[in-house]
Amino acid sequence: MVNAQLPITTTPKYNFPLPQETLHPLELPKHFTKLSLLSLKPTQQKQRLSTKDTATQLPTHLRLQQSISSTELFPLTPNPIDTTIVAIDVSSIRLGETETGFLLGVRGAIVWKESKQYRYLRLGPFPFHITQRTEDEIRRLYRQDHPISRLQVRSIPQVYIIQSRLTTLLERWMQSFIIRTTRNSIILWDGSLAVDTTETPASTIKELLTAAHNNGNIILAFSKMTRLSLHGRRLTDLIFKHPPPCLLRIKEHINHFGQIRLMGNVYVAKFTKGKLAFRMDADKRRSSIEVVEAVQNLLGNDSILQSYPETLRLAHIFSTFTATEVLALQRCITQKSGLRVITTLNLRRLLFGRFGKTQKGC
Amino acid sequence: MRLYKKEGATVQIISFPNEQVRKGDYLAIEDSKHGDNLIVQVIDMEYANIPGILEELLRNYDGDSSIAGEDVDPFDVAAHIRYIQDARLLICKIRASTHNGKLIPAGSHLPARSYARIRSVSVNELLTRPDGAEGYEIRLGETAEKTHLDVDVRALDGALNIITGKKGTGKSHIAKLLVLSLISHGAPVVIFDLNGEYIGLGQDTEGKPNEFSSKIHVLTPRQNFKVTLEQVKIHVLLNILVNALHLPGTSAREFRRIWHSLEQNGTLTMGELGEAIKNWRCNQHVRDALFSRYYTLLNSRLFTDNPALATSLENALDRARSGGAIVLNLRNESTTNRHIVVEYVLGKLVELLTTRRLRAIFLFAEEAHLYLRETYWDDIVTRMRHFGVFTTFITNQPDTIRENIYRQVDNLFVLNFTNEHDIDPISRAARVDAHTVKSIVRDLLPHHCLVLGKVVNDFPMIVKIKSLDVQAMGQTRLFFPVRICALTP
Repeated sequence: MVNAQLPITTTPKYNFPLPQETLHPLELPKHFTKLSLLSLKPTQQKQRLSTKDTATQLPTHLRLQQSISSTELFPLTPNPIDTTIVAIDVSSIRLGETETGFLLGVRGAIVWKESKQYRYLRLGPFPFHITQRTEDEIRRLYRQDHPISRLQVRSIPQVYIIQSRLTTLLERWMQSFIIRTTRNSIILWDGSLAVDTTETPASTIKELLTAAHNNGNIILAFSKMTRLSLHGRRLTDLIFKHPPPCLLRIKEHINHFGQIRLMGNVYVAKFTKGKLAFRMDADKRRSSIEVVEAVQNLLGNDSILQSYPETLRLAHIFSTFTATEVLALQRCITQKSGLRVITTLNLRRLLFGRFGKTQKGC
Repeated sequence: MRLYKKEGATVQIISFPNEQVRKGDYLAIEDSKHGDNLIVQVIDMEYANIPGILEELLRNYDGDSSIAGEDVDPFDVAAHIRYIQDARLLICKIRASTHNGKLIPAGSHLPARSYARIRSVSVNELLTRPDGAEGYEIRLGETAEKTHLDVDVRALDGALNIITGKKGTGKSHIAKLLVLSLISHGAPVVIFDLNGEYIGLGQDTEGKPNEFSSKIHVLTPRQNFKVTLEQVKIHVLLNILVNALHLPGTSAREFRRIWHSLEQNGTLTMGELGEAIKNWRCNQHVRDALFSRYYTLLNSRLFTDNPALATSLENALDRARSGGAIVLNLRNESTTNRHIVVEYVLGKLVELLTTRRLRAIFLFAEEAHLYLRETYWDDIVTRMRHFGVFTTFITNQPDTIRENIYRQVDNLFVLNFTNEHDIDPISRAARVDAHTVKSIVRDLLPHHCLVLGKVVNDFPMIVKIKSLDVQAMGQTRLFFPVRICALTP
């Protein structure tokens, strides 16, 4: 049983250039560590951790459903002019349930493609024990006058959606850090420039886009899935007949959809042969010419596999949790906070045998 | 370590990186509630089947310098990942169990997986010797845990042993160790030395006489080993003629008559034998057959008509009676001569043993298939064993020894084999399961031996055979001065 403050500090290896503004590069990892420790600390008795349905990694992008009308096609020519490409991705995973809540792990990865070399920085994993009790402390920490408070959620997260909120919190901080410390680069995000106003204020995204613009960076957000459609056709199907590499601009102005608001222009990107195409969002303040130039620089500097930039793929790979890491995190939590990992009965399996698939259908 | 699975006599244990376990080690699975322990031996090690391991290895492969990176890992989860990644699965075989501290050969108890404790077991815990065993120990060498492996020499008494391993792994070294150990405990030994490897047993590594020099008697055919026909006896010579020289039955009968005639006249010499065949009234084909064998015997130069030049095997064995070895140096002998010598010696041994002139003898036969006739194999392991011939076969071709010999073997000393076809015949030995032999033998280092059988109380042991201060001999003559070391063990 561990009650005292755990002797954990951030590693001294982290030595990337410091931003000029208020965010210190170690602030969030430290803050996240503190938050994580705090969440684990209240464990007063050895609790059993259920491992059922743990491997559900939360997609970090949002989806829209909107009908739009006109398009503009841009054939692309890769431009090998030396340009730094930075990709950011964050993953979170449910590690298991406890009697009072659940455990999750959050991790982010930044990958740079610079001078034909890739390098990466991984932040985390940060384990969290989310309970009704720890939620209050997390909420208090949110309210503290801290640089990240400007980036975090306005509403108080509920216990079972906190996974999404913590993921977003780390992602926004990493995005903010990169935008402020990098110049004249192409920054790749996983997801779209759409915001759910209950989760991330539009002002936050606007602030990030402005900071990026001021530093000469251009943000390109790639969505692996989109529900946007045009005349009943899926958006990514619109580019099917066009020879790659090309970019399709969706010129129609997209309105708010419920609480979701688009902060960028929508494009469909098809970079290589094959059926795969992706929705790509870019800052509204950037003209189509600027976006096309940026994408051509991306094609000239990064490897593209199945229409997807390698840098962003690597960021995803580095942030994603493997089954081994889930085991390691469970072990780490067990050792540090006294939580015991157990496997609970899978009622669906018990009742329906081979037909008792999990709720996720797997 | 944690108990994971049991299937038949196989137990799987998960071992973590901070736990040092080697192939061949013994573990006790302790069930404190019931007071029962299971004694198992690690026969193989695998990586534990960890989910997601492939993804983890692929992602973190740092051989490609094009991706460098850093991790901010405040909780040091990486250490836990490494711990899990390096977890091993120990494949173990149940060897025995203990109930209230008493060792029981079988192991039917199933310990509780949830709380069973697993610990290493030392060799000494397993090889508990009965009272009065003092003074009968022989040191084979040391185990991986650096414990001396001392075994009871009496386990070789009345036993059939096999020493096998591929070329250059140390078979003869073990044989020499056993020979010297038997001698030092007062046992008589006869060695069929095919390559002249044992003739230096009486000398130390510098070629000076050692403590055994007076106990090693080397007999080299045609030099200091010749016999008269009177020494040979009719049944031994007939064995030689029929089995070694393939004399047909009709001719053998005529030979018996000739022999008795010479015996009655008191002229049992090689010269008279030749004259008798020449003048004997018999079919010309029979005469020709007898003559061809006669000249073979004559040309072998193993027989003499001069009793002063003849060697008395009885006398030599008398000298070895209180501990000594008769080394029959067959190095430069033709196949026929080898057969003649072996037939003679074995016939003589049986004769001495049946007449109780000899109590028992330990026979070491190297590559016996090269000189031992087919019918002798069964004879040696059954009939001759009852007379008191306790044989140790030494071979690098395990398939030359029949399966029924393996099934009756009491002690098996196995050195490294790489080829599975070589391991197959050995794995049929009744003393141990095939899985153990196959798994352990292919990973044995040079001069490391898997010892099976009575000598180790049926607990298979891996031992590094101790060095000997004797002339190595028998080393392969090389053309080039420096030999390139083989990578394989």
